[in-house]
Amino acid sequence: MSDISKPASAGVAPRRPSASLSVRLAHWLPRIVLAPSFMAVLIGVYVFIGWTLWISMSSSSMLPRYDFVGLEQYVRLWNTPRWHTAVINLFLFTALFLAITIALGLLMAILLDQNIRAEGVLRTIYLYPMALSFIVTGTAWKWMLNPDLGIEKLVQSWGWESFAFDWITRPDFAIYCIVIAAVWQSTGFAMAIFLAGLRGIDGSIIKAAQIEGATLPRIYASIIVPMLRPAFLSVIVLLSYISIKSFDLVLALTNTGPGGSTEMPSTFMFAYTFQRNQMGVGAASAIMMLMTVAAIIVPYLYSELREDSHGH
Amino acid sequence: MKLKSALFASVLALPVPAMAQDKGTIEVLHHWVSESEVAALNVVREKLAAEGFGWEDSAVGGMSGANATQALRTRLASGNPPGAMQFLGYEGQNWFAEGVVRDFADVATAEGWFDAIAPQVRDFVTKDGAFFAMPINMHRQNWVWANKKVFDEHGLTVPGTWDELIAMGPVLKEAGIVPLATGDEAWQIQLIFDALVADLHGPDFYRRSVVELDPEALSGPEMIDVFDTLRQVRGLVDDGFVGRDWAVATGMVASGEAAMQVHGDWAKGEFLAQGLTEGEDFLCFATPSETPSFLFLIDSFGAFKTSDAATTAAQDALAMATMDPQVQREFNMIKGSIPARSDVSVDGFDACAIKGFEDRAAAVESGAMLGALTHGFASQPQFAGVFGDVVGQFFVTDMTSQQAVEMLASGIANAM
Repeated sequence: MSDISKPASAGVAPRRPSASLSVRLAHWLPRIVLAPSFMAVLIGVYVFIGWTLWISMSSSSMLPRYDFVGLEQYVRLWNTPRWHTAVINLFLFTALFLAITIALGLLMAILLDQNIRAEGVLRTIYLYPMALSFIVTGTAWKWMLNPDLGIEKLVQSWGWESFAFDWITRPDFAIYCIVIAAVWQSTGFAMAIFLAGLRGIDGSIIKAAQIEGATLPRIYASIIVPMLRPAFLSVIVLLSYISIKSFDLVLALTNTGPGGSTEMPSTFMFAYTFQRNQMGVGAASAIMMLMTVAAIIVPYLYSELREDSHGH
Repeated sequence: MKLKSALFASVLALPVPAMAQDKGTIEVLHHWVSESEVAALNVVREKLAAEGFGWEDSAVGGMSGANATQALRTRLASGNPPGAMQFLGYEGQNWFAEGVVRDFADVATAEGWFDAIAPQVRDFVTKDGAFFAMPINMHRQNWVWANKKVFDEHGLTVPGTWDELIAMGPVLKEAGIVPLATGDEAWQIQLIFDALVADLHGPDFYRRSVVELDPEALSGPEMIDVFDTLRQVRGLVDDGFVGRDWAVATGMVASGEAAMQVHGDWAKGEFLAQGLTEGEDFLCFATPSETPSFLFLIDSFGAFKTSDAATTAAQDALAMATMDPQVQREFNMIKGSIPARSDVSVDGFDACAIKGFEDRAAAVESGAMLGALTHGFASQPQFAGVFGDVVGQFFVTDMTSQQAVEMLASGIANAM
C-alpha cells in the first residue's frame, strides 16, 4: 500500500499527474470516507467503555470521581439483592423470549408459505406490531394484563367467573408478562425473516423429497429447517440484543414492579447511576452487562469470521 | 390532555420573552410540565419580566425529576450549566458541596431570608452561613384524602389512630368500597411507610431510623411494628392496584369508588379540577397519630456559577423573585402547596392549605417537622432507594416483617 503513495509524495515532476492523483485518491478515498464513522465508533464506543470501566473502579457517587478503589463497587453490586433479581430476570426473559418468538415466528412463516390466499394481508397484519415502539406496546399490554381492566375482566364478564389472569400483579409471575408483550411485538419480525429464508429454498428439493415419499412434516424437520440456518442466526442475534436492551418495555409495562420483581440490568443501571447517586455501582453493572454480551457475541463473531475465511 | 397542556404552556410562554431581553436572560432547568405547574411557574416568570429579565425555559419532565437531573449532569460535565435549576431533596446541598452553585448569603442576610424559613427547611438550602437555594414552595406528604359522602353514609369519622383507620376497612369492603386507594409503585407505598414511621413511634424514632439510619432503630421492634401495620394497610387496598397512577387513585376517592388515599397535597388539585369542595365533597386530614407530624418537601431554585455578568444579574433577580412573599403566595395558590416562607399570610388559601399552615406552625414548635423520606428529604438517595426497594417489595409479596427489617438493615449497610 505505502509503495503506491511514495512516487507521488516525492513530488519531483510526476510524469502523469492526473493518473497519480486519481490513484492516490482511490487509495485514500475509502479511508477518508470511513474516517468519521471510525472516529465516532472509536470515541463513542471504545473510549466510553474504557471510561465506564474506570468509573466502575472509582468511588464515584453523584458525579464522576477519578480515584481508585479496586473492586469495591463490584462487591457492593453483587451484595445488592435487586441486582440478583435483575440478572435472573435477564436470563429468564432472554431464554423464554427467544424460544417462544423463534418457535412462533417459524410456525407462522411455514403456515404462510403454503400458498394460501390473502397472504399479503396476513403478512402485513403479523408484521404490524413491529411498527410500534416498545413504549406503546408496554402501555397497551399494561392495560390488557391489568385484572381490573383487561383480559381477566373481559373473560369474567363473558360468564367465566372463576377465570384468573393476574400475573402482572404477582411478583413471581410479572416477568412473564414482559415476555408476552415482547413476543407479541417481535414474532412478526422473526416470521418475516424466516419467510424470506423459506422463499429462498429451491422448490425442486422439496419435490425430490416428495418423490422419495417423505411426508410434509418430515420434509420441514429434516430438510427445510436445517437449511434456514442463516435466518436462525440473524433472528437470534437481533432478538438477543433486543432483550438485553429491553429498557423501555419494562418501564412502560411494569416500571420494574411489582416490588422490583421485574428489574432488568438496564433499568438497574439507570436507577443507580441517575436516581440513587451511586454512579460507581451503576458503572459496575454496565460492565457486567458488557461482559455478558461479549460472552455471547465474541464466540459467535469468531466462528463467523473463521467460516468466512475458510469459505473464500 | 398532553397536547392541551403543551399548548397552554406555549401560550403562556409567548408574551414574556418578547418584552424582556434587555437586562439579561436566565435559563431555568426544571421538571414542571403539568398544566398547574406551568401556570404557577409563570408567576415567577412574569415577576422576572417585570424586572426586565428574560426567562429561557428548559423543562425536562418525567421520572420525578430524574430526567432533569440527568440533563444537568451532562451539561455540567460539558461545562455548560443552565443559569438556574430546580432542586429537590439533597440535590442542592450536593451540588453546593461540588462547588458549582452560587452562594446568596449577602442578599439573604439583607432580606432576612434565614429567618423567614423554618429551621428544618434551612438544612436543605443553607450550609455554614451560605444560602445556596431559594425555596419557593412546601408540600406536605402525610395527608389523608377522603370521600365525605362515603364517610357520612357509613357513619365514619376522622380516625385518631392508624388502628382506627384500619378498623374502618371491613365496613367499607362490605359495602363494596375500596377502603384505601393506591398504586403499587414503590414511591406511593413508601409514602404510606413514611407516615407510619412518624405516626406510630413519634418524630424521634423517625429521625433515628430514616434520617440517621441507626442500625438498631432500623431492625428493632418498632420497625417490625411499622411493617406489621403496613401489612394491615395492604389489606385495605384492592388487587387492581398494579400500575395505577396516583392521580387515578385520587380519582377513585373523588368518585366514591374508594374511601381514602394517603398522599401528598398535590392530590388536592385532582379534587378541585372536578369542581369538588373541601368539607362538602372531600376531606383532608393529617395521617392519624397521637404525635402528629408534618412531613415536608420543598422545591427550590439554585443558581450555577458563571462568568457572564448578564446571567449573574438575572440569577440575582430570580433569587429575589423566588423569595418574594407575593410571588410565593400566588405561585402556591396555583400549585396547591403552601409558601416555603413561614411569614406569608394565609388569607385567600383554601381550607386544606390553611390547615397545612397551622399544622406546620405547630410542628415547628413541637419538633415534629420532618423531611419526607420518599421525596429525598430524610436520607440521601442511595439510602432512600433501599427503603423504596424493601417497602415496595414487602407490600406486594408475603415477606414477613422480620425479613423486611433484615433486608432493610443489610441494604442500608451495603449502600454506606
